[in-house]
Amino acid sequence: MARDKAKPCELDQEKYDADDNVKIICLGDSAVGKSKLMERFLMDGFQPQQLSTYALTLYKHTATVDGKTVLVDFWDTAGQERFQSMHASYYHKAHACIMVFDVQRKITYRNLSTWYAELREFRPEIPCIVVANKIDADMKMTQKSFNFARKFSLPLYFVSAADGTNVVKLFSDAIRLAVSYKQNSRDFMDEVLQELENIDLKREEEEEEEMLDKEQPGRQQSPSPS
Amino acid sequence: MMCTAKKCGIRFQPPAIILIYENEIKGKSRQRIMPVRNFSKYSDCSRAAEQLKNNPRHKGYLEQVSLKQLEKLFSFLRGNLWGQSLAETMEQIQRETTIDPEEDLNKLDDKELAKRKSIMDELFEKNQKKKDDPNFVYDIEVEFPQDEQLQSCGWDTESAEEF
Repeated sequence: MARDKAKPCELDQEKYDADDNVKIICLGDSAVGKSKLMERFLMDGFQPQQLSTYALTLYKHTATVDGKTVLVDFWDTAGQERFQSMHASYYHKAHACIMVFDVQRKITYRNLSTWYAELREFRPEIPCIVVANKIDADMKMTQKSFNFARKFSLPLYFVSAADGTNVVKLFSDAIRLAVSYKQNSRDFMDEVLQELENIDLKREEEEEEEMLDKEQPGRQQSPSPS
Repeated sequence: MMCTAKKCGIRFQPPAIILIYENEIKGKSRQRIMPVRNFSKYSDCSRAAEQLKNNPRHKGYLEQVSLKQLEKLFSFLRGNLWGQSLAETMEQIQRETTIDPEEDLNKLDDKELAKRKSIMDELFEKNQKKKDDPNFVYDIEVEFPQDEQLQSCGWDTESAEEF
């Protein structure tokens, strides 16, 4: 397939407009285990695509959501996270975000606020999951409360890329959220169009009534708005 | 040649790695002294460890001694050559083989970051459930409810406004 070629590939982000395509981005500090999580989820099926010019790694995945095939692109950082900021194109057209910290390192948790602020600057509405990774290293952390997630009403997942706890659930849910976000934002546009049509219909009805008033009952003419 | 390693240590003067092992046939403790040659305070401890472990004369005896342990022993020797106390060397090893949870890894260059990652990888590999493990399960779900009663992680700021 063309996308498997090692040629410097163009980043085509138009495809994310297509119905069956979603883009899910990973955020978080250096060494919190973002790539390890990806690899644990995809197992043998993972074929990362390094896009060094964009400082990112792409993982392609095919999922099935409600009987429909969905092509998922996972975007992972490739070192750029150390600047605690990503390029705008990283966020462009993303449908969901997986935001990771390391339960062994407070600073990675504290930095979530920086990541979250940047995410919301570019994508104010997309679903975002907060991920507490490396719980295998310290299970006690799963018995603690983390206000960050609560404050922004974000789901919090306790996971371990090493032993696999909740990794598949995390990604399956992220895909589901991405797909539903995409459908709902479409629904929103549909609603707007529907609303416009309704206004026209109402106007027609009103005009019709006016005409009926003037004319004799029983005879109807279709109104012809000028 | 089968032998069971019991203890492995280092002698500073003259420098040698010393192994206490049991010969399985006789069930009796024996000592093997493996002299360390061409090692200076500028030497690379992990390379020295590898060379010793692969040395055809010692290989058979060192099978059960991990590369990590040998590397650590060479670090003691190296520290000694620099005139450091044992405590100082211990502290240095500790620093180089563990993660300082307060350190901001975003601020490190590629090489330093790779070092920290390899330290983290050790624990990762230790805890890793691999696909070919007999009890491997792909999809493991465990619920960790975030109840109100939970103790705070202690990483949130005091004020309720900030997280």
